[in-house]
Amino acid sequence: MSSSISLRSRAIEPNRRAVLAGAAAGLALAGLPAPAFAAGTPELSEFVARITEGAVPLREGVTLAIPPLVENGNSVDVRVAVESPMTEQNHVRWIHLIADKNPFPDMARLHLGPRAGRAEISTTLRLAQSQRVTAVAALSDGRFAMAEADVVVTLSACIDGG
Amino acid sequence: MALLALPAAAQVKSGSEFLSPGMARQQADETRNPGFFWVEQGEGLFSARPPQGQACIVCHAEPRQSLRGAATRYPQVDAASGKLLNLEGRIEQCRVERQTQPAFGHESAELLAMTAYIASLSRGLPMDVATDGAAKPFYEAGKAFFERRQGQLNLSCQQCHDGLVGQKLRGDTISHGAGTGYPAYRLEWNSVGSLHRRLRACSLGVRATQFDFGSPEYLALELYLAGRAKDLPVETPAIRR
Amino acid sequence: MFNARITMPAEAKAGEIVEIRVLTRHPMDRGGQSDGKGGTVPRKILNRLTATYAGDQIFRFDMHTGVASNPFVSFTTRAVATGDIVFEWREDGGATYTRTSRLTVT
Repeated sequence: MSSSISLRSRAIEPNRRAVLAGAAAGLALAGLPAPAFAAGTPELSEFVARITEGAVPLREGVTLAIPPLVENGNSVDVRVAVESPMTEQNHVRWIHLIADKNPFPDMARLHLGPRAGRAEISTTLRLAQSQRVTAVAALSDGRFAMAEADVVVTLSACIDGG
Repeated sequence: MALLALPAAAQVKSGSEFLSPGMARQQADETRNPGFFWVEQGEGLFSARPPQGQACIVCHAEPRQSLRGAATRYPQVDAASGKLLNLEGRIEQCRVERQTQPAFGHESAELLAMTAYIASLSRGLPMDVATDGAAKPFYEAGKAFFERRQGQLNLSCQQCHDGLVGQKLRGDTISHGAGTGYPAYRLEWNSVGSLHRRLRACSLGVRATQFDFGSPEYLALELYLAGRAKDLPVETPAIRR
Repeated sequence: MFNARITMPAEAKAGEIVEIRVLTRHPMDRGGQSDGKGGTVPRKILNRLTATYAGDQIFRFDMHTGVASNPFVSFTTRAVATGDIVFEWREDGGATYTRTSRLTVT
């Protein structure tokens, strides 16, 4: 159906707990961490290019619904819908989800086909920190389409290391 | 200390009132709330015959009726021993004394599942613990614990959970600490956990002594919180951050 | 301890698009934590879910460590014939888990 995803590990950046430890000390009623989005970072475009095998995706037809402010990165609801008639001739082959600042940026790939009737999926993701989430859809005509969303991940107050 | 002027603990609200709309929907939706896996496991254990002794259901037939409301009355004082027992404690007592089985152990998947199942049989019913009579000394001890400054941060429970309810503590909204949804599925844990596990996190948060699961300190506090939460509905298995 | 809760209509008209919701109990352990003996805990996640219906694989979910513990997924399929939809999960290490859910097509 399609090749499996080759995972590429990256050195784990200082995690959100370490980064926010200062804010935790003294239980300061801290504001949210400032979002630090580097729009269209080269690295993100590399991730996209790798899964599209170099093709530049269209930036239309994909709806990526994800809360802009996430209460806990351990489980983040995401919904992706792609405009497609989902026929034998014209359908979405798969939807791939990327979080460029996760230790493993490739989060998931959901394979669909004409029998889906509709190109719409939802799932729950893990986000290590505030970052940009990208959904790339592979279309049956060989083209790709994508959508992106910036997500701020906050922390619960009383972490017990459990 | 005007900031910490303490209003009377009237109008205690459920922790669910402090959830985002998305999480509140997920909590109510059995197709989305993972806590129901623990409830389902507990329902299975309840009917399973242990190697010796009887299955729970032999004595507690028709649990949907016979145990409906039971969780609203815990913690309670055990008449025979005079000890304060929470729901976990009662289940373990039954298991050891009546079923002659080894205790499940605090935070074991089995004890969490049994507790979540039995508490879920009281979903929607108002909390109704006794705080007078034999329970009074425990309730007073719990109240004293709640009001006492503790830990390196020198904070009492009351300072935040009465005085600053609704305000933000990092990503959280400070609640009354009603505890009516426990055992709860907490995103921080990726699992169901007990109220005492949550209380241990509170203690750690203010850099105070963490008491053991089932310790007299947390049992008394649980009773005080349950007394404060009188008339709030049981929501187990709730979802919490 | 694996478990799954599959929610979908029991009946559908031929051609109708039905939504299938799958909640799974699994820790989805990313691994890499210390095992307390100088080593690290290996990754143990469900790495794939497939759904097969009326002769075809209708859905496949390749999961990596970015999928939440106790994951949820929903997708759709067009009702074509009365039959079982077979769900199969594959776990790191090779274990598999299977559930079926029947769809009656009217």
